[in-house]
Amino acid sequence: MAYMKGYPPPRLTEILSAWLSIGLQSFGGGSTTLYLIHQACTTRGWLSEAEFAKAWALVQISPGINLLKLTGVIGFQLRGWPGLLAALAGLLLPSATITVLMTAGFAALRDQPAVKAAMRGVVPATIGLSLSLAIQMMRSPLTLARREGRFSVSAHIGLVATAALLFVVGRASPVLVLVLGGLGGMLLLGDGSLAQRGLHRLRRENRR
Amino acid sequence: MNPLLYFWLFLKASLLSTGGLGNLPFLHHDLLALGWANETDFVSAIAVGQLSPGPTGLWTISLGYLTFGWAGAGLALIAITLPTLLALVVAALHRRVETHPAVQSFTRGIALAVIGLTLGVAWTLFQSTVTEWRGVAIMVGALGLALSKRAPVVIVLGLAALAGWLLFGTTG
Repeated sequence: MAYMKGYPPPRLTEILSAWLSIGLQSFGGGSTTLYLIHQACTTRGWLSEAEFAKAWALVQISPGINLLKLTGVIGFQLRGWPGLLAALAGLLLPSATITVLMTAGFAALRDQPAVKAAMRGVVPATIGLSLSLAIQMMRSPLTLARREGRFSVSAHIGLVATAALLFVVGRASPVLVLVLGGLGGMLLLGDGSLAQRGLHRLRRENRR
Repeated sequence: MNPLLYFWLFLKASLLSTGGLGNLPFLHHDLLALGWANETDFVSAIAVGQLSPGPTGLWTISLGYLTFGWAGAGLALIAITLPTLLALVVAALHRRVETHPAVQSFTRGIALAVIGLTLGVAWTLFQSTVTEWRGVAIMVGALGLALSKRAPVVIVLGLAALAGWLLFGTTG
């Protein structure tokens, strides 16, 4: 899961500047940060859509702030320990500094009506960014699903919907949703899955 | 205040939680019990975390600054960054087994669950923050701009802030 074949490994300054730009632009919370990391990695050819989805899924299994873990894991994959440090420093230096400065000036900032009004515009926009990210992340699994046939397409849509419902309606913890999603994948998706083996057997019996 | 214990409380909270405000219950319990923070510190830190750039989890740095100055901010920063090392271990373990068909199916399922979670978080945020058409219009506008890939994120958010200021500024 290193950088894509055919690309040379990026320079440390490139990693640092990519994450500096992510850190400086990601106003409005984590959705924006995730969107920017996805954009930075896929447009530079550092990760494919599938690799990005895998990295994002993997970092959610262990504790801590997912976006920091994602940054660390991608940095490490690109250039080892120096890559990890460059990516984390790029993300954290601007945003941590601004966070502290904002804390210091918070009392003054909080009561500014203009700031409040502006934030009421930024929050819905970050929801729009999240939806756009979900659509982009769905493209590559759906392409694969179409090649596998109608059953796989329905299984994909069903798994996404079930995960969303478990989280929203069932109030399940994200970790539980991910584990159940993985088990759902083992049941329904790919050559080794129970569903595929069942389908093969049915076809064989029909031929007889 | 004992800096070692202070650091340990922050590290423990981040090791026991996953992102965002997940570490809040632990820090809230421990710091209040020791008298090292008060309710106002928490409310302010959470608000700053929403406003400031980067992941929401950076609210922890704000709490560190409010309770222990620059040293607190630094210790909080280290405490939330260290769990990254565990994520590297998980990624390395996964790389050993990823060619196994069952693991591939499992990973594909997780990737779909991640998309479901993204939609779920978007829905939860939508329900709690978007109350009428102006918010919906800004959301749809941002979605369209993002999908068209014509405008960088900073422009999308800048336009959204401007729209918020214009649409909500007068009515409050």
